[in-house]
Amino acid sequence: MNAKVDHFDPIVFERQGVALTRSQVETFGREIDALRAEIMADLGEKDARYIRGVVRAQKGMELAGRGLLFLGVLPPAWLAGTALLSVSKILENMEIGHNVMHAQWDWLGDPALDSSSYDWDNTCPAEQWKHSHNYMHHTFTNVVGKDRDVGYGIMRMSDEQRWNPAYLFQPAYNWVLASFFQWGVAFHDLEVERLLKGEKSFAEYREQRRKIMKKVRQQVGKDYLLFPLLAGPFAPWVLAGNLTANLVRNLWSYLIIFCGHFTEHAEMFSEAEIENETRGQWYLRQLLGSSNLEGGRIFHIMSGNLSHQIEHHLFPDMPSNRYKQVAPKVREIAERYGLHYNSGRLSRQFGTVLKRINRLALPSRRKGRAAA
Amino acid sequence: MNVITASNSRSGAAGWARRLGKALSTPFDPEDYLALFDPLQSAREVRARVVSVARESDQAVTLTLQPNRLWQGHRAGQHVLLGVEIDGVRQQRCFSLSSAPALPLPAGGTLTVTVKRQGRGGVSDYLVSRCREGDMLTLAEPAGDFVLPEAPPERLLMVTAGSGITPVHSIVKSLLASNFTGKVVWVHFERGYQDLILSESLARLRRDPRLDLRLVLTGDRPRDGDLSGRLDEHWLTDNVTAAAEHTVFTCGPSGFLDTVMAWHQHQGRAPLFHERFKAAPVVAGEGGQVRFARSGGEARAEAGVSLLEAAEQAGLKPKHGCRMGICHTCKCRVGKGRVRDLQSGESRELNGQEIRICIHAAEGDVELDL
Repeated sequence: MNAKVDHFDPIVFERQGVALTRSQVETFGREIDALRAEIMADLGEKDARYIRGVVRAQKGMELAGRGLLFLGVLPPAWLAGTALLSVSKILENMEIGHNVMHAQWDWLGDPALDSSSYDWDNTCPAEQWKHSHNYMHHTFTNVVGKDRDVGYGIMRMSDEQRWNPAYLFQPAYNWVLASFFQWGVAFHDLEVERLLKGEKSFAEYREQRRKIMKKVRQQVGKDYLLFPLLAGPFAPWVLAGNLTANLVRNLWSYLIIFCGHFTEHAEMFSEAEIENETRGQWYLRQLLGSSNLEGGRIFHIMSGNLSHQIEHHLFPDMPSNRYKQVAPKVREIAERYGLHYNSGRLSRQFGTVLKRINRLALPSRRKGRAAA
Repeated sequence: MNVITASNSRSGAAGWARRLGKALSTPFDPEDYLALFDPLQSAREVRARVVSVARESDQAVTLTLQPNRLWQGHRAGQHVLLGVEIDGVRQQRCFSLSSAPALPLPAGGTLTVTVKRQGRGGVSDYLVSRCREGDMLTLAEPAGDFVLPEAPPERLLMVTAGSGITPVHSIVKSLLASNFTGKVVWVHFERGYQDLILSESLARLRRDPRLDLRLVLTGDRPRDGDLSGRLDEHWLTDNVTAAAEHTVFTCGPSGFLDTVMAWHQHQGRAPLFHERFKAAPVVAGEGGQVRFARSGGEARAEAGVSLLEAAEQAGLKPKHGCRMGICHTCKCRVGKGRVRDLQSGESRELNGQEIRICIHAAEGDVELDL
């Protein structure tokens, strides 16, 4: 090897009219690394108190909600009980479960909040979620053909996905996916299309299905059988409350998650583009493939801080309560490099998601971009 | 390692109630909800409430702990991994239990640990200076084979120094509480009276005619009947009648133990049990030897080579995902050893914690749960 400094500095990243050279991408990566190091070194008792407070609030609301639903024959009790149970299910899945399983709280050393043992109140088993989400989605974010969150195997979210006539109906079945989101998340892990293509063995498929069905039985047994039975004559109100709470949680999590990667300016990538990707390039892809939502403190907590989707994708294992603090610094760095920091209110961002779903229901006009 | 699953095997009404509770709280445990009202509740770990903090000296405290129902009791002489939260982070350290065991511990029963300040800002120092009544600690299952045989020998010689007194205190106390008919000679070495822990309890035990307790001071003027001096290879033979015929239990600092064991090797004619308070050696330099605890192999890992790569080069196939530290799929427990974080460059000593092996390298000898 030549020990002399190589002065040739090629352009290694080009998107949205911004071209960055190898050394620029490297410097960018180091700046993002430094942000991470600064926050991670500062974690302490305050953060521990925060997450324990959220867990206590969630468990308390769940107990209160389920208790009130036993009196669900009285309309105000039913409404309050359903609302409390919905909020607790959202908090558990989003601010607690999702983030704990990302190992954001492993540093506490608390087995109750440890990524390797935590399981969430959702039909998708924790272990499968950690593979499809933490590994596949976070490593290959918005890489068509790799990141199965791009359309969950049933929707066309990028021009790079080949069109077929079934997609004509996606503006309608989008809402079905939204309503049954936890089921979509659980069963998309089965990767039926890979089984059909012979890329996955039937034995592996059957083992996964067995684990999903076990979790499904536990979840359904709790919400739709045991709690209603326990309520005796008030079973219908308890059942209706639990169904509603799960539906509300499904719709809300769908809304937040689709706004995270499928807004108007969220970029998609091809498998060829990520070959030999450096850490700096990976950061750039996370930044340009994600979009943020603006709102108040409660809104951020209720979204599991996925309203800071960009920060979450840059730092998936940073405790979520710190995203708010790091966000302005990420924005400053992005803007300094001329990169688009995609952020907006929920209504505006979701409007552009629907626009994308409608546009891609039809074949793409741009020729030659469809993936082979 | 400290995961204990509540038993589901109990029959009858209690078993059914437990199963119903579990089904209603799935995927959590009923205790996760009960903990809202009583923080001692847990389905997965022994939590213990500090019911009293007794100051032994300005350097040591005896903590009386009330564990939850997952505590399964200990044998005299065993130690336990005690966890405490410092700045939000659970830190653990091994301590000998100083109380005589009760098997099983009655509901609401307590146990004690005596902790001496180490002056390095760790768990011991925290417990001595900041632990208060009402605090919550965690306990892992007790371990250690520094325990009496089923049928205790008739002639016992205890040789201890400094905080080595605690496990032997537990052994002697439980022995004297039993119908033991033999004799115990206990020689304890201490720098000075102000360093002596458990002195009140020792004064009580001393009244038992079966115990011959001798306190030897190495740096203080001895009072009524106590001795002064320092342990060497002849001390036991010179000072204890027929020392070589006794079964020996010894615990103390490393150099002290070495002396006792050297004496025993030349003179001893009965078994010796010892407990060493280990401080893992800090290995300088980079890279190291990786031992794979589960598959039994061993491999040399060079500096900068991740433990994941080292394992793969050794022919193992550890579970992994991104290979860049973000997905945490490769997390693996380090039994013992020092590792360097390849991203931050920081190196740290581990003992039973989990790390992402794709971004950590060995720094000296490392034992991996692979």
